[in-house]
Amino acid sequence: MTESAFFTIAFALYAAAALLYLAFLFGKKPKWARAAFIAASAGLALHTVALVLRTFQSGHAPFTNMYESMSFLAWASVLAFIIIETMFKIPKVGAYVMLFVIAIMALASSPLMPKEAAPLVPALQSYWLWLHVSVTLLGEAFFAVAFITSIMYLRAKDPEKKAKMDSVSYRCVSIGFPLFTLGGLIFGMVWAEKAWGTYWNWDPKEVWSLITWFVFALYLHTRIVMGWKGKRSAFIAILGFLAALFTFFGVNYLLSGLHSYV
Amino acid sequence: MKTIIRFFSSLKLAIVLLILLVAASILGTLIPQGREAADYAARYGRLAEPMVKLRLTDLFRSVWFLGLMALFGLNIAVCTATRLGAKLRRAFRPKVESDPKSLAAGKISARLRIDRSAAEAKETAIRTLRASRYKVRIAEEPETEGRSGTESAGADARQAGGRIRIHFLGRKGTAGIFGADFVHLGLLVIIAGGLVTAAGGFRTDLGLNAGKTLDVPRAGFALRLDKFATETYADGSVKDWKSTLTVVEDGKDVRTVVIEVNHPLVHRGYSFYQSAWGLDWDNPDLTFWIERKDAPGTGRTSKIRVGEKTAFPEEGTKERRTGQGEGGGKKTAADQKEKETGMEWTVRRFFPDFVIGDDNRPGTSSGQPNNPAALIEGWRGRRKVVEGWIFAAYPQVNRLRGEEAADWTIELRDADAPQYSVIQAARDPGVPLIWIGCLLVMAGLFLAFYWPAREIRMTLEETEGPAAGSAGSGGKGRKRGSGRMEITAGGTASKSQDRFASEFARVTAALKE
Repeated sequence: MTESAFFTIAFALYAAAALLYLAFLFGKKPKWARAAFIAASAGLALHTVALVLRTFQSGHAPFTNMYESMSFLAWASVLAFIIIETMFKIPKVGAYVMLFVIAIMALASSPLMPKEAAPLVPALQSYWLWLHVSVTLLGEAFFAVAFITSIMYLRAKDPEKKAKMDSVSYRCVSIGFPLFTLGGLIFGMVWAEKAWGTYWNWDPKEVWSLITWFVFALYLHTRIVMGWKGKRSAFIAILGFLAALFTFFGVNYLLSGLHSYV
Repeated sequence: MKTIIRFFSSLKLAIVLLILLVAASILGTLIPQGREAADYAARYGRLAEPMVKLRLTDLFRSVWFLGLMALFGLNIAVCTATRLGAKLRRAFRPKVESDPKSLAAGKISARLRIDRSAAEAKETAIRTLRASRYKVRIAEEPETEGRSGTESAGADARQAGGRIRIHFLGRKGTAGIFGADFVHLGLLVIIAGGLVTAAGGFRTDLGLNAGKTLDVPRAGFALRLDKFATETYADGSVKDWKSTLTVVEDGKDVRTVVIEVNHPLVHRGYSFYQSAWGLDWDNPDLTFWIERKDAPGTGRTSKIRVGEKTAFPEEGTKERRTGQGEGGGKKTAADQKEKETGMEWTVRRFFPDFVIGDDNRPGTSSGQPNNPAALIEGWRGRRKVVEGWIFAAYPQVNRLRGEEAADWTIELRDADAPQYSVIQAARDPGVPLIWIGCLLVMAGLFLAFYWPAREIRMTLEETEGPAAGSAGSGGKGRKRGSGRMEITAGGTASKSQDRFASEFARVTAALKE
């Protein structure tokens, strides 16, 4: 089977997981949540196979163009959700995470995204490609889960559920923030130093990574030191993820700079 | 002074600065940076001038942005410094004694009695805390002499002086309380690194043709490009650029390294990056076709360099002509003699993309070989006998002048430029600081998020001592349990309260065993 077959089956399994989680959301039967979790995990496994196949087929890391990066972001988001779900038991979040994942997968497989594995331009031929992109996107995946739990916090009425969403949001940020710092900023600087001869260039993508970082720094300081919680924290987490999303997509399509690959 | 320190150490300032930095950064990505003034005028019209004045067009290097950064750094520094003293004291010289009442009032706390002697109870407490890998400090009361000596007589003195009280402070993961400080210190080091880069960094592009040696500015050594190659994929797209560089010190080759994108050469604090490449049209490889019109079939291709005279031997043609016994008859003897001095060709000027500029002078409109043109000259001795522009793309258009202009057919057959490699040379003394700062930031984040500092405090009090019978607390204690020792424990954790609460419960339960 080819990479795209695995990708398609993974996509279908994610869709099944989303439907099952939705059924759980409305029907409240725990077995649906369990089935959804299994579908999501199976999807993740097949998606992993697709990524590995792609790597072998193209001979380079599976995130060098928009299609590949979005596929990887979807993969990382499912992984982040599975980790968070195992840690904190939040099946109700599942439906929204899986819908988010499906949206990314659908965008990735839309005809707008060229899917051919192109040979790597010289600047991307480095093992830092692996480190920089994978760790950054994994961090962003945790921000995505924080984004969803923050929205759920804002929409929830039950105080117990609110408290849970608030604390899960914080946990996601506390996993995502170090990953994003390491992958996005530090590995990025190391690679920039190697490839461009300067660790910082004020390139739009760099600046937007810094903006994202500042927003989450704001989240952490207001929360830990000033004791902000709930609504205000949720808003900052949402803004932070939107900044991360803009770093990922917006910069490429709306701004120009050195980072013109993905 | 105090108000200044308070101002700079306040978190509110940090938050305001973070928001301002975010806003400024967004602005800096929306407005294209570092373009020509005309670009901005076309894009923003009348707004362009004030924007340039406010340095919004070079925002990240503007005084006000750097000022914001400096304030941010100051804020971090003052904030960290003012809090560090108390933290260090807490870590290295903690107060072991605690007040049982406030311990019991804490969120995570317990009160229990065990039927053991003070010594046994102490032993048990230490063992249990250590079993959960807590480092234990102990302080014992009474400080019998001190207290009973100073305090006035009465029930208080008897109670305080007579009862044994042992304080325990069990801690683990104490380094975790410094997480934020490490992050902040790291950021300061990174900012310092940035300043060092700005002040002492040096960066320049070296354009090198194969075989050329260039002194690296200020470095005391030279660099020679031995070979430059562009590797391509099967589909023709560029795979890599590789420059073979030799470091030359005092005229001697020291080392030879092949650099490519992502693999710079580092030598004596200087780094050399493969940054670009280009076509060197100042030293083109030009191939001409030259033929005497009166000797068809004798033409040949000739490579002529810009500024160099290349002889074009006519002997062969002359011999052949005499051998065939034709032609030449009309020529005068003087002509013949002149021709015997030999023809030399040279290229005076060359443009890859010939154009007549606004000033009516020839020039090139690009670096692409769209319309290669050479100004060629033919010399006999010290006399220029042919001169004119010839065009590779238009062989029929030739503007040859001079006395022999009509005698020659000259075509520019091929124009190629050698590739040159652009090597970026950089010396950046700030870089080590940047990496140290990054390490500190990561270590700090790890400590802050994954290194929970936990603290369990306990107070052991003897309840059935010599004075127990008359003390009110003893009576109260008896209702709770039968033990001789009362233990009050309280705990705090910087992270994961739930997990800590269950550990705390385990520890206090183990005390009873």
